[in-house]
Amino acid sequence: MERRGRILAVLLVMVLGYAAVALRLVYLQVYQRAELTDRAERQQERLVRLDAKRGTIYDRIGRELAVSLDVDSVYGIPSRIRNPRETAQRLSRILHENARVLERKLDGDRHFVWLSRKVDPGQARKIKELDSNVIGLQAEPRRFYPKKTLAGPVLGFTGMDNAGLEGLERVYDKHLRGASGWVVAEKDALGRTVFPGGPGFQYRLPKAGHDLILTIDEVIQHIAEKEIDAMLVRSRARGGYGIVMDPRTGEVLALAVRTIGRTTQPFNPNDPQRSRPDEWRNRCVTDAFEPGSIFKPFLAAAAIEEKKVHPLERFDCSAGKIQVADRTIKDAHENGVLTFTDVMAQSSNVGTIKVALRLGRELFSKYIAAFGFGSKTGVDLPGEIPGLVKDHRLWSGVSIASIAIGQEIGVTPLQVASAYCALANGGVLMKPYIVSEIVDRGGRESRKFQPQVVGRAISEDTCEKVSKMLQRVVEAGTGDKARPAGYTAAGKTGTAQKIDQRTGSYSKKDYVSSFVGFVPANSPRLVILVMVDSPEGVVYGGSVAAPVFKTIAEQSLAYLQVTPDDVGGRMLLVTR
Amino acid sequence: MTSRVGDIGSLVFERGRRGSVRRALVILLIVASLILYVAGKVSIVQLGYRIEALEREKKELERANRSLRIEASSLSAPARIEEIATKRMGMVRPPKENVVTVKRKAASAE
Repeated sequence: MERRGRILAVLLVMVLGYAAVALRLVYLQVYQRAELTDRAERQQERLVRLDAKRGTIYDRIGRELAVSLDVDSVYGIPSRIRNPRETAQRLSRILHENARVLERKLDGDRHFVWLSRKVDPGQARKIKELDSNVIGLQAEPRRFYPKKTLAGPVLGFTGMDNAGLEGLERVYDKHLRGASGWVVAEKDALGRTVFPGGPGFQYRLPKAGHDLILTIDEVIQHIAEKEIDAMLVRSRARGGYGIVMDPRTGEVLALAVRTIGRTTQPFNPNDPQRSRPDEWRNRCVTDAFEPGSIFKPFLAAAAIEEKKVHPLERFDCSAGKIQVADRTIKDAHENGVLTFTDVMAQSSNVGTIKVALRLGRELFSKYIAAFGFGSKTGVDLPGEIPGLVKDHRLWSGVSIASIAIGQEIGVTPLQVASAYCALANGGVLMKPYIVSEIVDRGGRESRKFQPQVVGRAISEDTCEKVSKMLQRVVEAGTGDKARPAGYTAAGKTGTAQKIDQRTGSYSKKDYVSSFVGFVPANSPRLVILVMVDSPEGVVYGGSVAAPVFKTIAEQSLAYLQVTPDDVGGRMLLVTR
Repeated sequence: MTSRVGDIGSLVFERGRRGSVRRALVILLIVASLILYVAGKVSIVQLGYRIEALEREKKELERANRSLRIEASSLSAPARIEEIATKRMGMVRPPKENVVTVKRKAASAE
């Protein structure tokens, strides 16, 4: 009986034990199922992010200007580090970073901290050699600009998170960025990643960013930048800007922006932290300048179109000055009686103002707008401004004279280059553009940009007359140093006084010297603008900017294999 | 009688032996299926490791390829080519006097 009682007691204990286990099982499997499944998944599964490749930026014939590459970033797991000071000192020697800053990052109980982002391959190798389980490497895409400073302010740059911050990288960020993907991978007991595959395998493939093909030509861009740099050294100027455009289409072939900052080194998008914002700002679209005499051809075009003047009509400029309202405007050099063509060639303010007064403010302002001044060109670059053009009803008595000689008006270098394209192509204002194609690697969403006509500014006949006048500027006028060897050229010099910020009046020593024109004059292939900000010594556009125009034109036309049209007796005629 | 008893015994014995063989076979089948199942799972895991290793290798090769392309692109920069041509090789831009333009006669004039 006693034995039976003991057996029953043991049985009861066992039943109760099993019941407890069963109840616990039910509790875990039924009541806590969702939470525990979730926790298990968190422990066993790992969401692996698949970064999308940022699109490549190419020049017009497919040469790479901006490319992305995966590089290593260094991270640490502070919660597992026993001696943060020693680890920080060891890492400091490899990463060349402040040991105290690293120690501060490693001190604490966080599970993850970035120690250095996007390090060099050599540094990554040394970190790998440490074979540490508390310091690791994670691949991240980094943007490279293989041509270094070439077209830096045009291309812009990206930030640490790979988003476009400036230039084309910013404007086209949506297209270049693509979409990230992910895959749910499993972790084994040692924490190694296993891709399970099979049914239920969850993933989303990353979508690569689109590529950009620019209208920029790498070689012409290099020519423009090299010549502007050489000029900056010669003239000790504060900045220089060069634009090369195809007048038939409005394509921007080169856009050189050089600003002298803390160093004489041009802006390098591979290392944007070393430069200040004003060094990477694209002043060809973000800043307005008083154009000076390069604006005179637009008055000439308007007056000829309205039949107010003939290119051969004579003007007496012998007084050397003219009174308009309360202001006396003088010529830079003494002139006698000049034809209107020579008024342009000698850049006479007096002759120009006489024609402007004859044209009248309403008609003049109509043509200023027709050439695109006062409104944005619509180019695909960030920060473009429309310039500063006053409504003609607000002009003072002297405004018409000032504007005719390129004062009291603010224009961007790109606006001027675009307007000269209209003078070169028969009178049609084209919209300037810099991206010719967005290419989808999948080939589905590719987009091509075609030349866009903004409107007709003047007739072809007027254009031809103005073109002849501008040829005269280069052949026998102030722009004789702009004449490229072997080619005819047409253009205009400009020397504009800058406003002195302290006094609010025109400065006696700071000028903007410029030359804008097109080559070959009879069948223009290129419009070239050169603008020099505050040169020292000789300041005239004909001496500072015109020689730069000449060298850019000669090299670019030779590169484009444009047949010389002004070779004198040294042309051989051969029959094939 | 003996033989009958022996017959019955052998019958019982045979029956018992057939039953245990069947049982053993069933167990063997279950064990084999389990082994096959586990082997399949192990094989998937091992393939997963291989895929991961190959993915890593592919990524490294792609990275090396891209890095070489960037290097090639950087080496072909016009500024570098011009510097080598003018400074190292002593090349110069031909002056105007040395350039003779050969103009092809137009087709219509032939």
